[in-house]
Amino acid sequence: MTANKEHRAVSSPAFDAVTLEVIWRRMISAADEAGKTLQRTSFSTLVNESNDFACVLTDARGQSLVQNTDSIPSFIGSLPITVKHFLEVIGVDDMAPGDFLVCNDPWVATGHLNDITIAKPIFRGGRLIGFAASTAHAPDIGGKVRSVVAREVFEEGFHIPAMHLMRRGEPDATLFKLLRAAVRTPDQTEGDIWAQVTGLNLMESRVHELMDEYGLANLDAFAAEIHGRCETAMRKAIAGVPDGRYEHGLTTDGVGHPFTFKVTVTIDGDRCIIDYTGTEAQVGRAINCCMTYTFAMSAYAMKAALLPDLPNNEGIFHTIEVTAPEGTIVNPRRPVAVGGRMATGHYLPPLIFGALAQVLPDKVMAAAGSPLWSIIQTGVDAAGRTYANTLFFNGGTGATAKVDGQNCFSWPSNISNVPIELVERNTPLFVGMKRLRDGSGGPGRRRGGLGQEIEITVESETAVGIIFMAERLTYPAQGLNGGEPGALGEVLIDGRPTDVRADHVLTKGQTITLRTPGGGGFEDPTGREVDLHDADRRAGYA
Amino acid sequence: MHEPSRRRFSLGIDIGGTFTDIVVYDHVQGRRFSRKVLTTHDNPSRGVVEGVDRVLAEDGVPAAEIGRVVHATTLFTNAMIERKGAVTGLVTTAGFRDALEIGRERKYELYDVHIEKPKPLVPRHLRAEVPERMDARGAVRIPLDEAALETVVDGLVHDGVTSIAVAFLHAYANPAHEHAAAAVIARRFPDLAVSTSSDVAPEIREYERTSTAVANAYIKPLARTYLDAIAAQLARRGIAAPLLLMISNGGLTHVEEAKRVPVQLLESGPAAGALAAAWFGAEDAGGDVLAFDMGGTTAKLSVVDGGKPLVAYHFEAARQKRFAEGSGLPIRISTIELIEIGAGGGSIAHLDVIGLLKVGPESAGSEPGPAAYGLGGAKPTVTDADFVLGYLNPDFFAGGSMAIDMAAAHAAIAEVANEASLSVEQLAWGIHDVVNENMASAARVHIAERGKDPRRYALLCTGGGGPLHAYYVAKKLNLKRIVCPSSAGVASAIGLLIAPAKVDRVATVAQRLDALDWAEFEATFARLEADARRVVGETGLDPATARIERMADIRYVGQAFEIVVDLPPGPYNACSLPELMVAFETAYVEKFTRTPPAVSVEIINVRVLVAAPVPGGELAIRAAARIAAAPIKGYRRMYFPEWSEHREAPVFDRYAMAAGDSFEGPGVVEERESTLVIGPGATFRVSESGNLVVDLP
Repeated sequence: MTANKEHRAVSSPAFDAVTLEVIWRRMISAADEAGKTLQRTSFSTLVNESNDFACVLTDARGQSLVQNTDSIPSFIGSLPITVKHFLEVIGVDDMAPGDFLVCNDPWVATGHLNDITIAKPIFRGGRLIGFAASTAHAPDIGGKVRSVVAREVFEEGFHIPAMHLMRRGEPDATLFKLLRAAVRTPDQTEGDIWAQVTGLNLMESRVHELMDEYGLANLDAFAAEIHGRCETAMRKAIAGVPDGRYEHGLTTDGVGHPFTFKVTVTIDGDRCIIDYTGTEAQVGRAINCCMTYTFAMSAYAMKAALLPDLPNNEGIFHTIEVTAPEGTIVNPRRPVAVGGRMATGHYLPPLIFGALAQVLPDKVMAAAGSPLWSIIQTGVDAAGRTYANTLFFNGGTGATAKVDGQNCFSWPSNISNVPIELVERNTPLFVGMKRLRDGSGGPGRRRGGLGQEIEITVESETAVGIIFMAERLTYPAQGLNGGEPGALGEVLIDGRPTDVRADHVLTKGQTITLRTPGGGGFEDPTGREVDLHDADRRAGYA
Repeated sequence: MHEPSRRRFSLGIDIGGTFTDIVVYDHVQGRRFSRKVLTTHDNPSRGVVEGVDRVLAEDGVPAAEIGRVVHATTLFTNAMIERKGAVTGLVTTAGFRDALEIGRERKYELYDVHIEKPKPLVPRHLRAEVPERMDARGAVRIPLDEAALETVVDGLVHDGVTSIAVAFLHAYANPAHEHAAAAVIARRFPDLAVSTSSDVAPEIREYERTSTAVANAYIKPLARTYLDAIAAQLARRGIAAPLLLMISNGGLTHVEEAKRVPVQLLESGPAAGALAAAWFGAEDAGGDVLAFDMGGTTAKLSVVDGGKPLVAYHFEAARQKRFAEGSGLPIRISTIELIEIGAGGGSIAHLDVIGLLKVGPESAGSEPGPAAYGLGGAKPTVTDADFVLGYLNPDFFAGGSMAIDMAAAHAAIAEVANEASLSVEQLAWGIHDVVNENMASAARVHIAERGKDPRRYALLCTGGGGPLHAYYVAKKLNLKRIVCPSSAGVASAIGLLIAPAKVDRVATVAQRLDALDWAEFEATFARLEADARRVVGETGLDPATARIERMADIRYVGQAFEIVVDLPPGPYNACSLPELMVAFETAYVEKFTRTPPAVSVEIINVRVLVAAPVPGGELAIRAAARIAAAPIKGYRRMYFPEWSEHREAPVFDRYAMAAGDSFEGPGVVEERESTLVIGPGATFRVSESGNLVVDLP
């Protein structure tokens, strides 16, 4: 994944400060309109309660122009890569108005099969001018439901290589038939695909209206302009960081043995190279993180540290070169399993921040109590229907130079919890408690955010398959610059620690306890102000 | 209430951040007039009484001739923003006191590492738990431990709490434990204000329901003190008409109901504005109106369909980051649907790090204000641009009451223009264009969420900035008509004078439509309707005049968002199934263009709205007679993008226009409080009701 080094900012007189601002804002509102439509018509709580989706508009070359404001970082980074892949393997000649392209190949899409990416080529005057594209986490994709036990991607569910979903408005009936047969929630999985299609149609029509109004024949000049300006700004920000090689390493829970993560961030003038040499070799478990996801997480961290206020687009991506040796857990070879890739990928932003903290201590965050936790439950209900439910749980975020870490807050991803009242209504689970974990935030001049404790009891008459995604059970979220680590996470079944890497089958009356990790602190805790100490004690946080 | 209807005057009282407006309508002469006094923040009823006294003494309005008094206020909203409400306690189900603080765990800004969640209104040490538990069907799993409740409430009172919210899990399904808890607390501490979640917002989703109950508790003591005081003062002045309060959904309610659930009043001011827009738009815009109110720091947009302002069932109060969706405290009440954006006359223009022109949300406010005010402001604002473009008249600003420094406006804009390599004229137009795009984009996304096409609406503009910006906002949205009421700067208060009484009620059903217990379903509607009618009756109105609407939040099984569907009138039985399905599918297709593959449908909440006209609410404002003689009072150099330069264009005098007159753009129409901009090629006329109606080319 290398940056496009030829590209350099050029300012075209056709786009002055006003015209560009107005057109750009219109494009963002087109993506936002598509996002709102997708979210409100989708069937899975993954999309509509937990926000696990994104909508992106690209130019004809598949370069990102804008995304909806609520997008999650991983999809922002991966969607343009998938669109470029469509161009490469399907080709412009095989695309027509009314076509929809689809793909969930982890290596060219989001890093696991569970997210379905759909793109609609946009034509004007017979020429391809861009793509309306979106990714949404499917309610179910079949297979082992992201269990870490899987060894190869073939075990992980229904695999859709880059292909047509619809040709000139005609759905591929065979694809739908096969997909419906392969998943546990055929109506919901198909319903969400239609929700994506509806959103993309809206985005396309909005782009046409805008181009009519401004007399644009294509998006190339606009793309060059915004990419150029963002690239220039990002390069300027990079150039403001002292040249050097900044290294950082960390150890994570791993599978069977701890994993080693290593990063070297090289700042050379206005270039930034992020290299993961030295990171753990890929493993025969579903925890490998494809390069698309590695790139997305790396770009997210760099933008958050250097240029948080600018809208994101391909111009930002041009400035960041990400390399990792093939065959590592951050750039695995086919066909290894990848379902739980976020359990690896979410470690990358804090890893990069650890390196940048040496020179930019005020612009980074101590490690968060992430990767995101979840439990996935599957089974057959009393009426004989198959089901699959995913519930998410966040830990505390890391402290920064300015603020304490936030309690139970999604980072680096942006995924909501599902309300307890909906959990109890829609699943055979009873939630006994959900509260902040006192004392779980890493001490520091700024304290890490608190994790949470949840107690869940199975009430189903039929057996329930449970898969955990839980990290930082042995290696905590580290503090920065003298701040202390957050509390370790804990997962118990019936009060006893359990192997979260194994699949579990629970029966009525069994209880799961989850304690999500706290975030790391920032700077020495002896520097914490007395009134903040008192406030912590009063609230029971510390 | 029937007796006062024959009285001559109606009174509207609107407390805003700076001014308190008293607006009066004279039913005999069919005219309205108003008084403005400064809002008295230390004791807001003082300002109100001062204004009312002036109306009584100076405008010749006898107290006995006032038949209707309606009040809107931003007091409670401000108390939440400034965190100046009561010391509030929260009692929850054991194990869940942190639900209020954990919230939905989602960032409202993706890239900001220093982001902070909104702080809950009740800090952790004032949140207590008691053993009790309902399940999702409303069956008792663990009985309420009343002894434990007494202990925790004693502790909260000891810690200084004067108001308590009770929010138990699944209380929307069965409120018995919350009711029992409220009774225990009332017995022990009769003076303590108590709010239960099932009473305030009986809807599924514990965080949002708890948040609403807590907000209610937070402002309840304030509401009690303030509303009692103002009702007593008005009565003392011989005003016999009962005090009515404007609530967020655009209806009215009586003082006792407002004291019980004051959270209903949070959006009362904007609701009056939306009602006014609907009223003004009825005759000249066919009832479909995009209401656009632009002031000094913000612009507000709301949608009126078929004469009815759209109602939403949730909003956010006290946002951590102003205008950032998701950064506020969720409130589940019915409210006029409204978006607020940081775009006003004082919004500051600047170039961002990549050289793009940004306008707002930072505002120069009134101190120092726009550079043109000559009060030391050096940054270019929207108002400065409007002066430089020739839209605003430096000799007639605020009716000529304020001296304008045109050189300062030019200089401020020139500085940014140089930076952007644009002329002063181009940059001034750029500021106008960018702030318009901000508003148009927000409107587009908002309308898309409702699955509607913006082009069918007319733009109804009010506020100081609405008429100035309406023309080119309408062009961006492809709207064909603009309606501008007279005195557009203060037009929104008229909503107070025409509002009906409205009571809405909600209950969570959460059943599949094909497995519904129809008898119970109908009984739920009947129960809600009876309760709503009772409140209408207490307002002093005849329940026989009430209109009843039934609605339901329906979704396909598996979706998490419901759409609110207008249902056919009841009563229902098993034969109603197809009728209800059609209502849902029609609404779904209207919003999302297609229905999904065969999936079952479930009803989450049912809603009832009972509305009754309040006597005295029938207004008939007609166009004023011509005061000045010549419709064109002069010419000024103005910039229009169609010309790409400044040229002479006419300045019309609104006071020289009468119903039936029609003219051609370009130009501006001036009146004291506002200026309407009309582009080249447009035509405009004065309608029978006195509105200016602009038809775009």
